[in-house]
Amino acid sequence: MKQRIMALSRKKWFSMAVWIFALVCVWEIGASVVAGTKRSPENILPHLYQIAVAAFSPEPVSAGMSAAAVVLTSAGATLLRALLGFACGTVLGFALALLMQLSGIVEKLVFPYLMLIQLIPVLGLAPIILSITGDINQSRIVIAAVLSFYPVAANTLAGFQSVEKEKYDLMYTYAARKSVIYKKILIPSAIPYFFTGLKIAAPMAVTASILVDTLQGDGGLGCMLSQSLKHAMSIYVFWLIVFFSAFIGIFSGYLMGRLELLVSPEKRKPRKAQKRKGN
Amino acid sequence: MSGKEEKEVEISIRDVGVAFCDNAGNHVQALTGVNLDIYKGEFVALLGPSGCGKTTLLRSVCDLQEVTEGEIRISGKTPGEIRLEQKFGFVFQQPVLLSWRTVKKNVELPLEIMYYSKADRSKRADEMLQMVGLSDFADHYPGQLSGGMQQRANIARAFGLRPDILLMDEPFSALDEFTKEKLHMDLLQIWSETNKTILFVTHNIQEAVLLSDRVCVLSPHPGRLSAVVDIDLPRDRTLEMKETAHFNELVSKVRNSFEGGSV
Repeated sequence: MKQRIMALSRKKWFSMAVWIFALVCVWEIGASVVAGTKRSPENILPHLYQIAVAAFSPEPVSAGMSAAAVVLTSAGATLLRALLGFACGTVLGFALALLMQLSGIVEKLVFPYLMLIQLIPVLGLAPIILSITGDINQSRIVIAAVLSFYPVAANTLAGFQSVEKEKYDLMYTYAARKSVIYKKILIPSAIPYFFTGLKIAAPMAVTASILVDTLQGDGGLGCMLSQSLKHAMSIYVFWLIVFFSAFIGIFSGYLMGRLELLVSPEKRKPRKAQKRKGN
Repeated sequence: MSGKEEKEVEISIRDVGVAFCDNAGNHVQALTGVNLDIYKGEFVALLGPSGCGKTTLLRSVCDLQEVTEGEIRISGKTPGEIRLEQKFGFVFQQPVLLSWRTVKKNVELPLEIMYYSKADRSKRADEMLQMVGLSDFADHYPGQLSGGMQQRANIARAFGLRPDILLMDEPFSALDEFTKEKLHMDLLQIWSETNKTILFVTHNIQEAVLLSDRVCVLSPHPGRLSAVVDIDLPRDRTLEMKETAHFNELVSKVRNSFEGGSV
């Protein structure tokens, strides 16, 4: 019996199921307790089934759209901006990492101060960028780019610097040109690190986009979030948006993982081989 | 193996000394006063305890290490010129394979760098993998291979280049006895087929005697060439030769030639 449980716990889906079950339990206990206090007219922490019902109810909640339609259209708007910002941040981050690798001076000048970008609270940065760009859409993209920029740049640079001396020696004995060394050794070596950066940056870009949404109404999940919290819509819709935002964040990180497997086949095959060995 | 005067000197090492500053800023004399001629197609072992400068000498030959005294000439040219002509193959102690490339693509790497056509690369890589017995693993990634197989891929990569001079830095030291013996025989077979000049660094006396035409014994503090022992075992060498009295005599002769008898 014990062995069977041990074998089960090694399976990925099993630990996930246990976690989901535990979270649902905690949530439902919390919901019951909060409902018991009855401090607010509407249960601020509704039962999960109530949220599920709200998700599938065809009743219009805002501008003639059902809850699901509201969530999906605003999620689309949020994601598009997050994606644009994420793409800009990624390209810039990779380019800067490459520049820092190419030039020691750039690295010494830039890298220590890059961290500062991370330290500025987005909540403070967002209104400033909004007033500079004057456009909510642009500022959303800029914030998402700023946030995804650092993890990509820092991780990619670490990837470049992870290349062992032997590999440089090997290329030296081949009398390989610098551009060839970058193409054949440095960039492929940095790819796993680059993806680590992407896995951190993607959910951050989503978070940034949602956060900036809350500043000014123009669609988007964050906008709906603040509206629903102000009781323009039901509390169920609020939680629905929270869950959906969390899902998008997690999913964006997961997507980067899948993308990495697509780009780096050598990471894919050993895992399969291990599984076979295990069985 | 008679009449050295008939043979063409390929690598000429004259009064070579190498000094550098270590990380603590101390002056280190790694090598001093090394004189050695290596003939074309010869298999020469550089033998010595750690810290005797054998790897430094090997790296100096292929321009990975700057020589501070004397000079090295290869067919009349400097190591740097020969390197730019892409005539070196270097086998490192570690396999140094690229984890994101399949075994075959790893073997093709130097050929890509030297602008061989795709068809040529593929053909030559297949030949080399066949030679080292890795044909079935051509599409595997290095991470899926054992240490011995990785080292064979490393050797296949170096031979695929068809370099004029093959430099090997303790290529088998991390392997188990069985794999090592197999690779010894493989290496000798490949060498006899291709007839390259091989400089082979090792700290294993038996290995040096079994493989090479001449064993160059280096001694430490400071690193210097203390003896050169001719190995007159007949070619095609076999593992059985290790059991013969003559083999053991040669091993003793090499061992006794270390200065100060410190080994």
